[in-house]
Amino acid sequence: MDPDRPFVLVVAASGGLHIAALNAAAQDHGLAVGETLADARAKAEGLQGDLQVRPLDAAADDAALRRVALWATRYTPTASPWSRDLWDEENGADGFFLDIEGAAHLFGGEDKLLADLAARLKDFGLPARLAVAATPGAAWALSHFHASPLFVLPSGDEASALADLPVDALRLQPDIRGSLRRLGFKTVGALLDKPRAPFAARFAAQLLRRVDQALGLCDEPLVPIVAPPVYHSLHYLLEPIMTQEAVIARTDRLMQTLANVLARDDAGARALRLCLYRVDGAVETVDIGLTLPTRNVAHVVRLFDLKLAALAATHDTGFGSGFGAEFGYEAIGLAITCAEPMPARQIEISSADLSDDALGPTNGDAAERYAALIDTLRGRLGTQGVRRFEPVESYIPERAEILTADGDEKASSEDLRAEDLHAEDLHAEEAAWPLADERSRPLLLLPQAEPTEVTALVPDGPPRRFSWRGVTYYIAGSQGPERIGAEWWRTPYGQTRPTRDYYLVEDFSGHRFWLYREGLYGRETTNARWYVHGLFA
Amino acid sequence: MADLAELSTGVQNRAETRAPTRSAVLADLRRLLPAVDDIHSTLPFGLPALDSHLPRGGLARGALHEVVPATEGTLPAAFGFVIAVLANLRPSGPLIFILPAYGRRDQGHLCRYVSGHGLSSLGLDPARVTLVETAHRKDSLWAVAEALHSGVPLAVAAAIDRLDLRTSQKLHLAANDSGRPLFLIRPAPPLEASAAATRWRVGVAEAARDRFGLIAHPRWHLQLERCRNGRPGEWKVEYDHVTHRFSLAAALADHALPRSPNARARKQAGGS
Repeated sequence: MDPDRPFVLVVAASGGLHIAALNAAAQDHGLAVGETLADARAKAEGLQGDLQVRPLDAAADDAALRRVALWATRYTPTASPWSRDLWDEENGADGFFLDIEGAAHLFGGEDKLLADLAARLKDFGLPARLAVAATPGAAWALSHFHASPLFVLPSGDEASALADLPVDALRLQPDIRGSLRRLGFKTVGALLDKPRAPFAARFAAQLLRRVDQALGLCDEPLVPIVAPPVYHSLHYLLEPIMTQEAVIARTDRLMQTLANVLARDDAGARALRLCLYRVDGAVETVDIGLTLPTRNVAHVVRLFDLKLAALAATHDTGFGSGFGAEFGYEAIGLAITCAEPMPARQIEISSADLSDDALGPTNGDAAERYAALIDTLRGRLGTQGVRRFEPVESYIPERAEILTADGDEKASSEDLRAEDLHAEDLHAEEAAWPLADERSRPLLLLPQAEPTEVTALVPDGPPRRFSWRGVTYYIAGSQGPERIGAEWWRTPYGQTRPTRDYYLVEDFSGHRFWLYREGLYGRETTNARWYVHGLFA
Repeated sequence: MADLAELSTGVQNRAETRAPTRSAVLADLRRLLPAVDDIHSTLPFGLPALDSHLPRGGLARGALHEVVPATEGTLPAAFGFVIAVLANLRPSGPLIFILPAYGRRDQGHLCRYVSGHGLSSLGLDPARVTLVETAHRKDSLWAVAEALHSGVPLAVAAAIDRLDLRTSQKLHLAANDSGRPLFLIRPAPPLEASAAATRWRVGVAEAARDRFGLIAHPRWHLQLERCRNGRPGEWKVEYDHVTHRFSLAAALADHALPRSPNARARKQAGGS
């Protein structure tokens, strides 16, 4: 495909294939968006064999737009792409809003920001029309219909700036546009000085809402591409950086900036996102979560370091060879996506803390240090790699506990802040660990009970001998049965699960096992099966 | 007399010239009072027979201890022994278990087998335990070092299948720096040389029975295979999970009463 020759994308609609998008060469031949393909071929006879036609791939378009919008978060965290589901197709899904309020001064003003954005987009090969205005509606109208591709509208001039633009600039549905045109309204200005009531009566609410949105008389919420972070800090680099060490060094400085802001607000970060803006326009994001809110720079930076190392290992590319290496990163942003209140606390100063500066997380109380360790371990081993035991209210041994990775805040406080625990006794009442002398449970519980061949004197008596994993054990003494019924409230109606009779058995050398017989002999089954379920210490 | 006067002025002069810094004083005190240090740096079993045998009256806190099952089938006993020692730790605090999700069947999947109720049955509160699963030996070693270095857990227990001498030295030093005991559960012999302070070989023994013939306390056959600055030894101990107390197993003759009907079966078992 040759980009210099006429090229159109077509979409199937009523009356055949319609042109959905075209390039500059096709435009020169007098083609326009919305024409049927047959008309276009007839109109431009000269390029009959020359016209390149492809079907429109809406999903790929959206993905590409999303990518560019994500890249544009280097200017401001709030980028809102025009999506097809929010907008009707005629308005296109070919651009995005940037909310640059409070961000423009970082680039030396709106003009400079706009020029920078235009230059970078041009480098990507994207000819873009850009406009800055006080409302999304006015910005949309100016970017589409203003003579200049770069235009900054001073705040308050919306009405006069829009007056000369065609009604199409108001982002209306095609039928409303059509009837406006039939009624002789050519420009937005013609609508503005008319009384509103007849419009409201005649047209759908959309017309007046769009007018109001363009003029800033009513709100237009933007849907950001990524949830705007609570705190955000960004560094633009003069020279692209490529190594992990350099990224980490920058992250350290970003986090220091954020830590000061957090301290001012008595807040701590629970989740952070590191955005690495690649020179070629792609954005790589690294997310970390924390067990307890923190403002500790060294700890956060260490977690990012671990995460980057883990990513490099899994992608098998790493900083040295693959991703980002050819291009480098031109900007680094650190965002706090979730912050929680964290009252200022007096830092305990002890000789150990002072002497052990490199450790970082040592200062602070035990709960914080514990959380720091858990975060560090999770940074390398994954969230599911670090878990705790939680009791579950059940008599079925394999159901009586779970390993859980969440609820750590509560769990970690259990040993470290025992006095606070009583406030959380509600949860403890649901399920609690039994006292040590209550009932005997094996130290190692097989995740799945393993079938075993058992010899017993009587069918419902204790076992005498069993073989498991290829070894035959002769039982010297057994204890039981401990009868555990099935949980009928968990089984579907009409079905029953067999009752289990558990025996603690010991063989002649002293190995202790937990066996069970499934099914009550004579009542539930005539051929009970045996299983090994656990190993005692 | 003159010599004496000279000597005393000399002492005075020296005291004046050397202004004692804080660190120097501390170092002096540390040197002078090793006994105080010892009380906090050991982990007694509470069983005189064992404690008096160990060099400082108990297991050293800042040290690496290896626990090895006597045979592959006694892994639960070896693990149980570690749990019992950890349950004995005072003061109570968080513990970290680093168990592999790789390797051979039993040792390898220890992390999936460990049961919170089982820990509770041995007198260890499962809420104190954080279970760390690792996919590689490298991760295990990293996690052990990280946990010790953080100074957070009261003790670290890990299962590691292979360990060379250098790595064991590093782990021992890490434990020493942190002052926390590190228990390594190792596979059944043969084993490589290691820098561990003690190596325990744990075998099973017939459980202690109460007067109704019910299993009351687990019993383990402990062999102190290696002990730095100490002698090897061998004991049969039983562990009371309620009182967290080790005791020496009673003489074997006590078994006779509940066991007598099975004597024949036992002979058969021994023969087969």
